[in-house]
Amino acid sequence: MNAPLFKFGLFGDEFSLVVAFLIGIGFGFFLERAGFGSARKLTDQFYLKDMAVFRVMFTAIVTAMLGLFYLGWLGWVDLSLVYVSPTFLWPQVAGGLLLGVGFVVGGYCPGTSLVALATGKLDALAFVAGIFAGIFAIGEAWPAISGFAESSALGRLTLPEVLHLPAGLVVLLVVLMAVGGFWGAAALERRFAGRGAGEGS
Amino acid sequence: MSAGRPARWTRNQKLAAGAVALGLGALLIGDPGDGGRVTLDARELAALVEGEVDHVTPDELADWIVAGRQDFRLVDLRAEADYAAYHVPGAERIPITGLEDAELARNEKIVLYSQEGIHSAQAWFLLKARRYPAVYILLGGLAQWQEQVLYPVRPEAGAGAEERAAFERAAARAASFGGAARAAAAGLAPAVPALVPPPITAPGVAPTAPPPAGSPVKKKKKEGC
Repeated sequence: MNAPLFKFGLFGDEFSLVVAFLIGIGFGFFLERAGFGSARKLTDQFYLKDMAVFRVMFTAIVTAMLGLFYLGWLGWVDLSLVYVSPTFLWPQVAGGLLLGVGFVVGGYCPGTSLVALATGKLDALAFVAGIFAGIFAIGEAWPAISGFAESSALGRLTLPEVLHLPAGLVVLLVVLMAVGGFWGAAALERRFAGRGAGEGS
Repeated sequence: MSAGRPARWTRNQKLAAGAVALGLGALLIGDPGDGGRVTLDARELAALVEGEVDHVTPDELADWIVAGRQDFRLVDLRAEADYAAYHVPGAERIPITGLEDAELARNEKIVLYSQEGIHSAQAWFLLKARRYPAVYILLGGLAQWQEQVLYPVRPEAGAGAEERAAFERAAARAASFGGAARAAAAGLAPAVPALVPPPITAPGVAPTAPPPAGSPVKKKKKEGC
Protein backbone atom coordinates (compact mmCIF):
# COMPACT_ATOMS: atom_id res chain seq x y z
CA MET A 1 0.00 0.00 0.00
CA ASN A 2 2.90 2.32 0.54
CA ALA A 3 4.02 1.65 -3.00
CA PRO A 4 5.14 3.37 -5.13
CA LEU A 5 6.62 5.86 -2.69
CA PHE A 6 8.66 3.19 -0.93
CA LYS A 7 9.90 1.51 -4.08
CA PHE A 8 10.98 4.77 -5.62
CA GLY A 9 13.14 5.46 -2.60
CA LEU A 10 11.15 8.44 -1.30
CA PHE A 11 11.43 6.86 2.11
CA GLY A 12 13.41 3.96 3.47
CA ASP A 13 12.72 0.61 5.10
CA GLU A 14 12.18 1.95 8.61
CA PHE A 15 9.80 4.70 7.61
CA SER A 16 7.85 2.35 5.37
CA LEU A 17 7.18 0.22 8.46
CA VAL A 18 5.80 3.30 10.20
CA VAL A 19 3.54 3.99 7.21
CA ALA A 20 2.43 0.35 7.12
CA PHE A 21 1.72 0.50 10.87
CA LEU A 22 -0.42 3.63 10.53
CA ILE A 23 -2.36 2.18 7.58
CA GLY A 24 -2.83 -1.07 9.51
CA ILE A 25 -4.17 0.77 12.56
CA GLY A 26 -6.60 2.68 10.35
CA PHE A 27 -7.72 -0.48 8.59
CA GLY A 28 -8.25 -2.30 11.88
CA PHE A 29 -10.13 0.65 13.36
CA PHE A 30 -12.67 0.69 10.56
CA LEU A 31 -13.06 -3.08 10.61
CA GLU A 32 -13.86 -2.89 14.32
CA ARG A 33 -16.24 0.03 13.78
CA ALA A 34 -18.07 -2.02 11.15
CA GLY A 35 -18.54 -4.75 13.76
CA PHE A 36 -16.12 -7.14 12.07
CA GLY A 37 -14.36 -8.01 15.30
CA SER A 38 -17.22 -10.40 16.01
CA ALA A 39 -17.19 -13.87 14.48
CA ARG A 40 -20.96 -14.05 14.93
CA LYS A 41 -21.54 -10.98 12.81
CA LEU A 42 -19.11 -12.22 10.19
CA THR A 43 -20.62 -15.70 9.91
CA ASP A 44 -24.15 -14.25 9.79
CA GLN A 45 -23.09 -13.13 6.32
CA PHE A 46 -22.95 -16.73 5.17
CA TYR A 47 -26.40 -17.49 6.58
CA LEU A 48 -27.68 -14.36 4.73
CA LYS A 49 -28.94 -12.92 8.03
CA ASP A 50 -26.66 -9.91 8.12
CA MET A 51 -25.14 -8.61 4.91
CA ALA A 52 -22.84 -6.07 6.58
CA VAL A 53 -19.69 -7.73 5.24
CA PHE A 54 -21.01 -7.55 1.71
CA ARG A 55 -22.09 -3.93 2.16
CA VAL A 56 -18.87 -2.71 3.72
CA MET A 57 -16.64 -4.46 1.22
CA PHE A 58 -18.64 -3.43 -1.84
CA THR A 59 -18.90 0.15 -0.55
CA ALA A 60 -15.12 0.23 -0.15
CA ILE A 61 -14.66 -1.10 -3.69
CA VAL A 62 -17.04 1.48 -5.19
CA THR A 63 -15.50 4.33 -3.19
CA ALA A 64 -11.95 3.41 -4.19
CA MET A 65 -12.96 2.83 -7.79
CA LEU A 66 -14.74 6.17 -8.17
CA GLY A 67 -11.96 7.96 -6.33
CA LEU A 68 -9.21 6.53 -8.52
CA PHE A 69 -11.20 7.05 -11.70
CA TYR A 70 -11.87 10.71 -11.05
CA LEU A 71 -8.47 11.48 -9.57
CA GLY A 72 -6.93 9.86 -12.64
CA TRP A 73 -9.18 11.91 -14.89
CA LEU A 74 -8.20 15.10 -13.08
CA GLY A 75 -4.58 14.14 -13.52
CA TRP A 76 -3.91 13.97 -9.78
CA VAL A 77 -3.13 10.25 -9.76
CA ASP A 78 -1.15 8.52 -12.47
CA LEU A 79 -3.09 5.27 -12.80
CA SER A 80 -0.22 3.58 -14.60
CA LEU A 81 1.67 3.75 -11.28
CA VAL A 82 -0.95 1.86 -9.30
CA TYR A 83 0.12 -1.66 -8.49
CA VAL A 84 -2.03 -4.37 -10.05
CA SER A 85 -1.52 -7.86 -8.67
CA PRO A 86 -0.65 -10.34 -11.40
CA THR A 87 -3.31 -12.95 -12.12
CA PHE A 88 -2.64 -16.65 -11.63
CA LEU A 89 -6.11 -17.89 -12.51
CA TRP A 90 -6.51 -21.41 -11.13
CA PRO A 91 -4.21 -21.02 -8.12
CA GLN A 92 -6.19 -17.93 -7.15
CA VAL A 93 -9.52 -19.72 -7.61
CA ALA A 94 -8.26 -22.52 -5.38
CA GLY A 95 -6.86 -20.05 -2.85
CA GLY A 96 -10.12 -18.10 -2.79
CA LEU A 97 -12.13 -21.24 -2.10
CA LEU A 98 -9.72 -22.28 0.64
CA LEU A 99 -9.96 -18.86 2.27
CA GLY A 100 -13.76 -18.93 1.99
CA VAL A 101 -14.03 -22.32 3.65
CA GLY A 102 -11.69 -21.14 6.39
CA PHE A 103 -13.81 -18.00 6.79
CA VAL A 104 -17.03 -20.02 7.31
CA VAL A 105 -15.44 -22.59 9.60
CA GLY A 106 -13.27 -20.23 11.64
CA GLY A 107 -15.55 -17.21 11.66
CA TYR A 108 -12.81 -14.79 10.64
CA CYS A 109 -10.68 -13.78 7.73
CA PRO A 110 -7.02 -12.98 8.45
CA GLY A 111 -7.55 -9.23 8.92
CA THR A 112 -10.62 -9.51 11.11
CA SER A 113 -9.00 -12.21 13.26
CA LEU A 114 -6.27 -9.74 14.22
CA VAL A 115 -8.89 -7.10 14.97
CA ALA A 116 -10.74 -9.57 17.20
CA LEU A 117 -7.48 -10.59 18.86
CA ALA A 118 -6.79 -6.93 19.64
CA THR A 119 -10.07 -6.80 21.55
CA GLY A 120 -9.13 -9.95 23.46
CA LYS A 121 -11.26 -12.66 21.86
CA LEU A 122 -9.96 -16.15 22.55
CA ASP A 123 -11.40 -17.74 19.40
CA ALA A 124 -9.40 -15.17 17.43
CA LEU A 125 -6.28 -16.34 19.27
CA ALA A 126 -6.91 -19.89 18.05
CA PHE A 127 -7.56 -18.57 14.55
CA VAL A 128 -4.31 -16.57 14.45
CA ALA A 129 -2.41 -19.62 15.69
CA GLY A 130 -3.98 -21.45 12.76
CA ILE A 131 -2.77 -18.77 10.37
CA PHE A 132 0.81 -19.20 11.50
CA ALA A 133 0.53 -22.98 11.33
CA GLY A 134 -0.82 -22.62 7.79
CA ILE A 135 1.99 -20.29 6.75
CA PHE A 136 4.50 -22.77 8.12
CA ALA A 137 2.83 -25.69 6.34
CA ILE A 138 2.74 -23.80 3.02
CA GLY A 139 6.39 -22.89 3.39
CA GLU A 140 7.37 -26.48 4.02
CA ALA A 141 5.18 -27.79 1.20
CA TRP A 142 6.25 -25.07 -1.25
CA PRO A 143 8.51 -27.26 -3.44
CA ALA A 144 5.58 -29.60 -3.99
CA ILE A 145 2.99 -26.94 -4.83
CA SER A 146 5.02 -24.16 -6.45
CA GLY A 147 4.41 -25.63 -9.90
CA PHE A 148 0.68 -25.21 -9.43
CA ALA A 149 0.96 -21.90 -7.58
CA GLU A 150 2.78 -20.31 -10.50
CA SER A 151 0.64 -21.85 -13.25
CA SER A 152 -1.89 -20.09 -15.49
CA ALA A 153 -0.10 -16.79 -15.13
CA LEU A 154 -2.05 -14.18 -17.06
CA GLY A 155 -0.06 -11.12 -16.05
CA ARG A 156 -1.60 -7.88 -14.89
CA LEU A 157 -5.20 -7.77 -15.98
CA THR A 158 -7.87 -5.13 -15.52
CA LEU A 159 -11.56 -5.50 -16.30
CA PRO A 160 -11.62 -2.89 -19.10
CA GLU A 161 -8.77 -4.76 -20.83
CA VAL A 162 -10.36 -8.18 -20.47
CA LEU A 163 -13.86 -7.07 -21.47
CA HIS A 164 -12.69 -4.62 -24.16
CA LEU A 165 -14.96 -1.98 -22.69
CA PRO A 166 -14.24 1.66 -21.89
CA ALA A 167 -13.19 2.11 -18.26
CA GLY A 168 -16.09 4.51 -17.65
CA LEU A 169 -18.64 1.89 -18.69
CA VAL A 170 -17.07 -0.68 -16.37
CA VAL A 171 -17.23 1.88 -13.55
CA LEU A 172 -20.94 2.47 -14.17
CA LEU A 173 -21.64 -1.28 -14.37
CA VAL A 174 -19.86 -1.93 -11.08
CA VAL A 175 -21.79 0.90 -9.39
CA LEU A 176 -25.08 -0.50 -10.70
CA MET A 177 -24.03 -3.97 -9.56
CA ALA A 178 -23.35 -2.58 -6.08
CA VAL A 179 -26.65 -0.69 -5.85
CA GLY A 180 -28.55 -3.73 -7.10
CA GLY A 181 -26.61 -5.89 -4.65
CA PHE A 182 -27.47 -3.62 -1.71
CA TRP A 183 -31.14 -3.73 -2.67
CA GLY A 184 -30.99 -7.51 -2.94
CA ALA A 185 -29.11 -7.75 0.35
CA ALA A 186 -31.84 -5.85 2.16
CA ALA A 187 -34.44 -8.23 0.71
CA LEU A 188 -32.42 -11.27 1.79
CA GLU A 189 -32.01 -9.89 5.31
CA ARG A 190 -35.75 -9.37 5.67
CA ARG A 191 -36.27 -12.95 4.63
CA PHE A 192 -33.59 -14.63 6.76
CA ALA A 193 -33.14 -12.25 9.68
CA GLY A 194 -35.31 -14.15 12.14
CA ARG A 195 -33.70 -17.51 11.58
CA GLY A 196 -30.93 -18.85 13.71
CA ALA A 197 -28.33 -21.12 12.20
CA GLY A 198 -29.84 -24.55 11.70
CA GLU A 199 -33.35 -23.75 12.94
CA GLY A 200 -36.35 -23.15 10.76
CA SER A 201 -38.86 -20.36 11.30
CA MET B 1 -41.89 11.42 6.87
CA SER B 2 -45.36 12.79 6.78
CA ALA B 3 -48.10 10.52 5.62
CA GLY B 4 -49.58 11.09 2.23
CA ARG B 5 -46.47 12.61 0.74
CA PRO B 6 -43.82 10.67 -1.16
CA ALA B 7 -41.24 9.23 1.22
CA ARG B 8 -38.02 11.25 1.42
CA TRP B 9 -34.83 9.53 0.50
CA THR B 10 -32.83 7.91 3.24
CA ARG B 11 -29.18 8.74 3.56
CA ASN B 12 -28.19 5.40 2.02
CA GLN B 13 -30.43 6.03 -0.94
CA LYS B 14 -28.88 9.44 -1.43
CA LEU B 15 -25.39 7.94 -1.31
CA ALA B 16 -26.41 5.28 -3.83
CA ALA B 17 -27.86 7.94 -6.10
CA GLY B 18 -24.64 9.93 -5.81
CA ALA B 19 -22.60 6.86 -6.74
CA VAL B 20 -24.83 6.19 -9.74
CA ALA B 21 -24.47 9.83 -10.81
CA LEU B 22 -20.69 9.55 -10.58
CA GLY B 23 -20.88 6.28 -12.53
CA LEU B 24 -22.86 8.00 -15.28
CA GLY B 25 -20.24 10.75 -15.32
CA ALA B 26 -17.57 8.07 -15.70
CA LEU B 27 -19.49 6.64 -18.65
CA LEU B 28 -19.34 10.05 -20.34
CA ILE B 29 -15.65 10.46 -19.61
CA GLY B 30 -14.94 7.00 -20.97
CA ASP B 31 -11.28 6.53 -20.25
CA PRO B 32 -9.58 8.27 -17.34
CA GLY B 33 -6.40 7.56 -19.24
CA ASP B 34 -2.95 8.52 -18.34
CA GLY B 35 -3.72 11.37 -20.71
CA GLY B 36 -1.21 10.09 -23.24
CA ARG B 37 0.74 13.22 -22.39
CA VAL B 38 4.45 13.23 -22.80
CA THR B 39 5.65 15.78 -20.36
CA LEU B 40 9.29 16.59 -20.44
CA ASP B 41 10.44 19.00 -17.82
CA ALA B 42 13.93 19.76 -19.05
CA ARG B 43 14.89 21.58 -15.86
CA GLU B 44 13.74 18.69 -13.70
CA LEU B 45 15.65 16.17 -15.80
CA ALA B 46 18.76 18.30 -15.68
CA ALA B 47 18.47 18.54 -11.90
CA LEU B 48 18.19 14.73 -11.71
CA VAL B 49 21.32 14.35 -13.80
CA GLU B 50 23.28 16.90 -11.83
CA GLY B 51 22.17 15.49 -8.49
CA GLU B 52 23.25 12.03 -9.67
CA VAL B 53 20.15 10.58 -8.05
CA ASP B 54 19.56 8.58 -11.21
CA HIS B 55 22.61 6.40 -10.52
CA VAL B 56 23.03 3.07 -8.86
CA THR B 57 26.64 2.21 -8.16
CA PRO B 58 27.91 -1.32 -8.82
CA ASP B 59 28.46 -1.67 -5.07
CA GLU B 60 24.84 -0.82 -4.33
CA LEU B 61 23.54 -3.18 -7.01
CA ALA B 62 25.74 -6.01 -5.76
CA ASP B 63 24.43 -5.48 -2.24
CA TRP B 64 20.84 -5.52 -3.50
CA ILE B 65 21.43 -8.82 -5.29
CA VAL B 66 23.17 -10.31 -2.26
CA ALA B 67 20.27 -9.20 -0.06
CA GLY B 68 17.90 -10.95 -2.45
CA ARG B 69 15.95 -7.81 -3.20
CA GLN B 70 13.24 -8.40 -5.78
CA ASP B 71 11.82 -4.90 -5.99
CA PHE B 72 13.65 -3.82 -9.11
CA ARG B 73 14.15 -4.96 -12.68
CA LEU B 74 17.61 -5.14 -14.09
CA VAL B 75 17.80 -4.50 -17.83
CA ASP B 76 20.77 -5.41 -20.00
CA LEU B 77 20.78 -3.25 -23.14
CA ARG B 78 23.70 -4.95 -24.89
CA ALA B 79 23.66 -7.31 -27.88
CA GLU B 80 22.42 -10.86 -27.61
CA ALA B 81 25.91 -12.36 -27.90
CA ASP B 82 27.32 -10.13 -25.17
CA TYR B 83 24.41 -11.00 -22.94
CA ALA B 84 24.93 -14.70 -23.57
CA ALA B 85 28.64 -14.37 -22.74
CA TYR B 86 28.03 -12.65 -19.42
CA HIS B 87 25.37 -10.63 -17.68
CA VAL B 88 24.77 -9.51 -14.15
CA PRO B 89 22.75 -12.21 -12.35
CA GLY B 90 19.06 -11.54 -12.65
CA ALA B 91 19.36 -9.22 -15.64
CA GLU B 92 16.99 -9.54 -18.58
CA ARG B 93 18.02 -8.43 -22.04
CA ILE B 94 15.96 -5.73 -23.67
CA PRO B 95 17.53 -4.04 -26.70
CA ILE B 96 17.17 -0.28 -26.77
CA THR B 97 14.91 -0.54 -29.81
CA GLY B 98 12.71 -2.95 -27.91
CA LEU B 99 12.08 -0.68 -24.94
CA GLU B 100 8.87 0.56 -26.55
CA ASP B 101 7.35 -2.92 -26.62
CA ALA B 102 8.97 -4.30 -23.49
CA GLU B 103 6.60 -5.03 -20.67
CA LEU B 104 8.01 -2.49 -18.30
CA ALA B 105 5.41 -1.14 -15.92
CA ARG B 106 5.67 2.44 -14.80
CA ASN B 107 5.39 1.42 -11.18
CA GLU B 108 8.55 -0.62 -11.34
CA LYS B 109 12.02 0.40 -10.37
CA ILE B 110 14.18 -0.16 -13.42
CA VAL B 111 17.96 -0.34 -13.42
CA LEU B 112 19.59 -0.06 -16.85
CA TYR B 113 23.09 -1.03 -17.83
CA SER B 114 25.16 -1.26 -20.99
CA GLN B 115 28.87 -1.86 -21.54
CA GLU B 116 30.06 1.61 -20.58
CA GLY B 117 26.98 3.62 -19.83
CA ILE B 118 26.22 5.59 -22.96
CA HIS B 119 23.42 3.36 -24.15
CA SER B 120 21.93 3.18 -20.70
CA ALA B 121 21.97 6.97 -20.46
CA GLN B 122 20.13 7.19 -23.77
CA ALA B 123 17.62 4.54 -22.71
CA TRP B 124 17.19 6.41 -19.42
CA PHE B 125 16.17 9.50 -21.35
CA LEU B 126 13.75 7.55 -23.56
CA LEU B 127 12.02 6.05 -20.55
CA LYS B 128 11.99 9.31 -18.60
CA ALA B 129 10.34 11.04 -21.55
CA ARG B 130 7.65 8.38 -21.40
CA ARG B 131 7.04 9.21 -17.74
CA TYR B 132 8.74 6.28 -16.12
CA PRO B 133 9.47 7.77 -12.72
CA ALA B 134 11.97 5.27 -11.32
CA VAL B 135 14.66 4.58 -13.90
CA TYR B 136 18.27 4.25 -12.80
CA ILE B 137 21.58 3.77 -14.55
CA LEU B 138 24.25 1.38 -13.35
CA LEU B 139 27.15 3.78 -12.94
CA GLY B 140 30.00 2.94 -15.28
CA GLY B 141 28.06 0.07 -16.84
CA LEU B 142 29.23 -3.49 -16.96
CA ALA B 143 32.86 -2.37 -17.22
CA GLN B 144 32.74 -0.83 -13.78
CA TRP B 145 30.75 -3.77 -12.43
CA GLN B 146 33.64 -6.04 -13.44
CA GLU B 147 36.28 -3.71 -12.02
CA GLN B 148 34.55 -3.01 -8.76
CA VAL B 149 32.46 -6.03 -7.92
CA LEU B 150 33.88 -9.00 -9.77
CA TYR B 151 37.58 -8.21 -9.56
CA PRO B 152 38.24 -5.86 -6.64
CA VAL B 153 41.82 -4.63 -6.41
CA ARG B 154 43.92 -5.83 -3.49
CA PRO B 155 45.15 -2.82 -1.51
CA GLU B 156 48.85 -1.96 -1.25
CA ALA B 157 50.87 -3.62 1.48
CA GLY B 158 50.88 -0.48 3.61
CA ALA B 159 47.12 -0.01 3.52
CA GLY B 160 45.22 0.81 6.70
CA ALA B 161 43.11 -1.70 8.61
CA GLU B 162 39.87 -0.10 7.45
CA GLU B 163 40.83 -0.39 3.81
CA ARG B 164 41.83 -4.00 4.35
CA ALA B 165 38.53 -4.84 6.00
CA ALA B 166 36.64 -3.21 3.14
CA PHE B 167 38.69 -5.24 0.69
CA GLU B 168 38.00 -8.49 2.56
CA ARG B 169 34.29 -7.82 2.28
CA ALA B 170 34.59 -6.96 -1.41
CA ALA B 171 36.66 -10.08 -2.07
CA ALA B 172 34.11 -12.32 -0.36
CA ARG B 173 31.34 -10.72 -2.38
CA ALA B 174 33.35 -11.09 -5.60
CA ALA B 175 33.74 -14.78 -4.91
CA SER B 176 30.00 -15.17 -4.46
CA PHE B 177 29.50 -13.58 -7.88
CA GLY B 178 32.08 -15.88 -9.45
CA GLY B 179 34.86 -13.29 -9.58
CA ALA B 180 38.11 -12.99 -7.66
CA ALA B 181 40.38 -10.38 -6.15
CA ARG B 182 43.32 -9.17 -8.19
CA ALA B 183 46.58 -7.45 -7.39
CA ALA B 184 46.82 -3.74 -8.01
CA ALA B 185 49.40 -4.20 -10.74
CA ALA B 186 47.20 -6.66 -12.59
CA GLY B 187 45.00 -3.88 -13.82
CA LEU B 188 47.84 -2.31 -15.80
CA ALA B 189 49.94 -5.33 -16.68
CA PRO B 190 49.16 -7.43 -19.75
CA ALA B 191 47.30 -9.61 -17.32
CA VAL B 192 44.20 -7.67 -18.27
CA PRO B 193 42.69 -10.82 -19.79
CA ALA B 194 42.09 -11.64 -16.14
CA LEU B 195 38.90 -9.70 -16.75
CA VAL B 196 37.31 -12.63 -18.51
CA PRO B 197 33.67 -13.15 -17.88
CA PRO B 198 33.13 -15.40 -14.91
CA PRO B 199 30.26 -17.86 -14.79
CA ILE B 200 27.02 -16.07 -14.06
CA THR B 201 26.45 -16.96 -10.47
CA ALA B 202 24.23 -15.22 -8.06
CA PRO B 203 24.85 -15.45 -4.33
CA GLY B 204 22.76 -18.18 -2.84
CA VAL B 205 23.00 -20.26 -5.98
CA ALA B 206 25.28 -23.21 -5.43
CA PRO B 207 28.45 -22.54 -7.40
CA THR B 208 28.44 -26.10 -8.68
CA ALA B 209 25.11 -25.55 -10.40
CA PRO B 210 25.14 -22.19 -12.10
CA PRO B 211 21.99 -21.28 -14.00
CA PRO B 212 22.33 -21.97 -17.70
CA ALA B 213 23.96 -18.95 -19.30
CA GLY B 214 21.70 -16.90 -21.45
CA SER B 215 18.50 -17.90 -19.76
CA PRO B 216 16.77 -15.01 -18.10
CA VAL B 217 16.87 -16.10 -14.52
CA LYS B 218 14.66 -13.32 -13.23
CA LYS B 219 11.70 -14.74 -11.42
CA LYS B 220 8.33 -13.15 -11.23
CA LYS B 221 8.30 -10.63 -8.46
CA LYS B 222 6.01 -11.23 -5.58
CA GLU B 223 4.95 -8.24 -3.63
CA GLY B 224 2.06 -7.17 -1.54
CA CYS B 225 0.16 -4.02 -2.12
